[in-house]
Amino acid sequence: MSVMTTETRQTPSLRIGRQKQLGFAASAALLLATALTGCAGSAKADSAALQASGSTTVAPVAADAAEALKSKGLNITVATQGGSAGGISQLGSKQINMALSSKPLADEDRKAYPDTDFVPTQIGADAVGVIISKKVADAGVKSLTKEQVKGLFEGKITNWSQVGGPDLKVFVYDKEPGRGTREVLDKFVYGEEKAPPPPKSDNYAIVGGNTETLNKLESTPGSIGPLSTGFIAGHDDLVAVALDGIAPTLDNVKSSKYPMTRPLFMITDGKPKGTAKQYIDYVLSPEGQKLLPKHGYLTLKQMGK
Amino acid sequence: MFSVALILTVLIGYLATGIASGDVDWSDLATNPTWDPMNGTFGALAMIYGSAVVCALALLLAVPVGWAAAVALTEYLPPRLAKPLRLSVELLAAVPSIVYGLVGVMVVRPFVAALGDVPGGDSLLAAGIVLAVMIMPTIVAVSVDALAAVPGRYREAAYSLGLTRREVVRSAVLPQARSGMRAGVLLGLARALGEAIAVFLVVGRADGRLPESLGGFFSSLVHPGQTLTAKLAGPEPMLAGTSGPYFAALCGLGIILLALVAAATVWGTRGTSSRATKRGLRPRRASAWLRIPRDRLATLLRLGALLLPGTLLVGMLAILVTRGSSALNPAFWFSPATGAASGGVSGQILGTLLLIATAALIALPLGYGAGILIGAHASARTARVLETVTVAIGGTPTILLGLAGYVLFSMTMGWGRSWLAGAIVLVPVVVPVVALTTAGRIRSMPSELTESALALGLTRAQYIRSVVIPYTWPATLTGLLLGLARAAGETAPLIFTATVFFGAPALPTGIVNSPVQALPTHIFTLSQDSNAPEAINQAWGSALVLVLITAVLLSLAVALRNRFEGARWTT
Repeated sequence: MSVMTTETRQTPSLRIGRQKQLGFAASAALLLATALTGCAGSAKADSAALQASGSTTVAPVAADAAEALKSKGLNITVATQGGSAGGISQLGSKQINMALSSKPLADEDRKAYPDTDFVPTQIGADAVGVIISKKVADAGVKSLTKEQVKGLFEGKITNWSQVGGPDLKVFVYDKEPGRGTREVLDKFVYGEEKAPPPPKSDNYAIVGGNTETLNKLESTPGSIGPLSTGFIAGHDDLVAVALDGIAPTLDNVKSSKYPMTRPLFMITDGKPKGTAKQYIDYVLSPEGQKLLPKHGYLTLKQMGK
Repeated sequence: MFSVALILTVLIGYLATGIASGDVDWSDLATNPTWDPMNGTFGALAMIYGSAVVCALALLLAVPVGWAAAVALTEYLPPRLAKPLRLSVELLAAVPSIVYGLVGVMVVRPFVAALGDVPGGDSLLAAGIVLAVMIMPTIVAVSVDALAAVPGRYREAAYSLGLTRREVVRSAVLPQARSGMRAGVLLGLARALGEAIAVFLVVGRADGRLPESLGGFFSSLVHPGQTLTAKLAGPEPMLAGTSGPYFAALCGLGIILLALVAAATVWGTRGTSSRATKRGLRPRRASAWLRIPRDRLATLLRLGALLLPGTLLVGMLAILVTRGSSALNPAFWFSPATGAASGGVSGQILGTLLLIATAALIALPLGYGAGILIGAHASARTARVLETVTVAIGGTPTILLGLAGYVLFSMTMGWGRSWLAGAIVLVPVVVPVVALTTAGRIRSMPSELTESALALGLTRAQYIRSVVIPYTWPATLTGLLLGLARAAGETAPLIFTATVFFGAPALPTGIVNSPVQALPTHIFTLSQDSNAPEAINQAWGSALVLVLITAVLLSLAVALRNRFEGARWTT
């Protein structure tokens, strides 16, 4: 008898349990479905936001400008995955509306995306320095020739004493491929030729963003690496060494005597219109141009443009 | 299980189309150490070497300490002390990998530089240490769960035979808990193999380095290297586009990475089970030599092992609190970011919460279903296969999930950057953890529970509902929390699919082109790319916020779980 009651008591609860599980699964599925259909409905609503992506050198300026325009009702997002080249390829494949670039467009970029009418607008300029530690510079490395820079980055010069410095091992930090900074250095060293594969030396590492580069240069004795000169302002233990005797001073950068000057761009597909135009206009305005020195770059006016 | 299959299909489909889009010279990929896309040379040997070395180092450092600490926690310490410690370990498991990366840059690099007398300290060893620190809490947390599930009467019986504590642990407790502890190591290994961001920050990312001699091997440890994941987390997937030999070679790297995870999983499952049978066949000869001193030594070692995670916790908290003091200001939590690197992080907090809540909603039913399927429904052999597959999914490097999501959702389906894509790529991070902890708990269920349930004439469904579920849900909750904690800190899958650095609304209104900002990616971008001096403070502040959020969630849930777990059939 007692067995019977247990049975009858358990059966309904079991059924409820199943229903509960089914209900749970169903509601989860429903939730997913609503979420998925929801996307289709509101797809248009959010595409008004302008999407800018690319160079980590330009991004801080772009973000500050976007912040200033937010109050005027403009909706702009800034992302940095992939550096300058990443931004250009994303613009080419129509994933974003604006590429931020710290290198000029190459013919290969235009060839790779024939459907895209790349229109670059220069917003400022930046000097890339070959950065070494103050200790090495004070010990005698005041200037490097192009050949010396080449030897250092190819791992052929392994001790600072080979270029007139102290007896200290060289540790090379090179930028990862696709970074505007690296392309500027490659262009200075190799011209139009392709750079060779990275050296198999023990004291060679790759860095990505500018902050990472700065931190690692500072914490490594005997290090050398390419970096925007704006980033070492206020870091007294680092020096941008002169190249072929020409230091990256404002005058030398302005007159383009310093070999590693690079323009900063905002690139659009076709002439900038609508939000993109307002955005670029703001960055070019006197108010917007103030953002460039804030992040260590040169304004168009400083460049004499 | 369906979901698991689906994920595999999508991932393999993505990799297969990638490979089909351009010729991959497999023998070159596997044997050539030079990777030079500019000149069309694609060799991955040095990266395979780097990944293998880094993971081996991590396991070598983390497993002995992790297991010993877990035993000390459950078998040696009084519950009053063990409970808060267990909570702290789970807290450590929840610390996002990006934070380990930041700490690694600050502490581990100088340590390796001093140890190896090398400049900088970016090296394979540094990556191995960071990974070891990162996976140890996972190993401890899962092992503690397995040990706690061993019924107290086994211990009582063993003690009453006059065995020392070391002998009790060795002959009565460990054999029962072995499968769960093994699962912990596999989860840890999976996390180590798949971790991209923390490695990315400290490994040096230099291609093409391969040692030629034994001395060269040791010297290669303290010098920069490259792993498969760090290569994929770099800018190259963006540069390669979506076709051609470059893209194909990158997909080839993905395949190699998956194959490594699968191999490690199969090896891990197989190796232990064969050892277990051997042990069962040959009775162990217990030696009476120095029983008491050996027992004391074991006590000392195990409690000592416990010190390490404790020191780590205290050290990390100290660093976080001193560096991230901006997070102690409530305004930092509730005000939105202004400009590139100032203001608060309210948008990022909301974005992170949205991502993990959505991922949890999708992952809980899937993971629990899969766990019950593995633990209760499948035959022993199928269960092992399913378990292996699940572990392999869990070990799927999240960077691959991100890239697959990028190609599938962002490009093919045209979602652009979308929060939902981000949440969906996080689901496979959570599901396996839920499934494995659930299944492990079911397997450790005392057989008399099953026997009496079957003797009462319960059907399979009744048995699952009234015996298995009440017994397992605390473990499921642990799994869900560990999984979510991991998901909350994931950076790699989001940078390609869901987040932007600046300008996204706090809560998205649609799905297509609706990015969010999330804390981990915010920290990553700030630590990489910002020049403003306040950016570093902002990064550490965000890190502390992220840790605090996971800590609060975890403490609540763990308190809940401890109450119920104690009330059920365990010790």
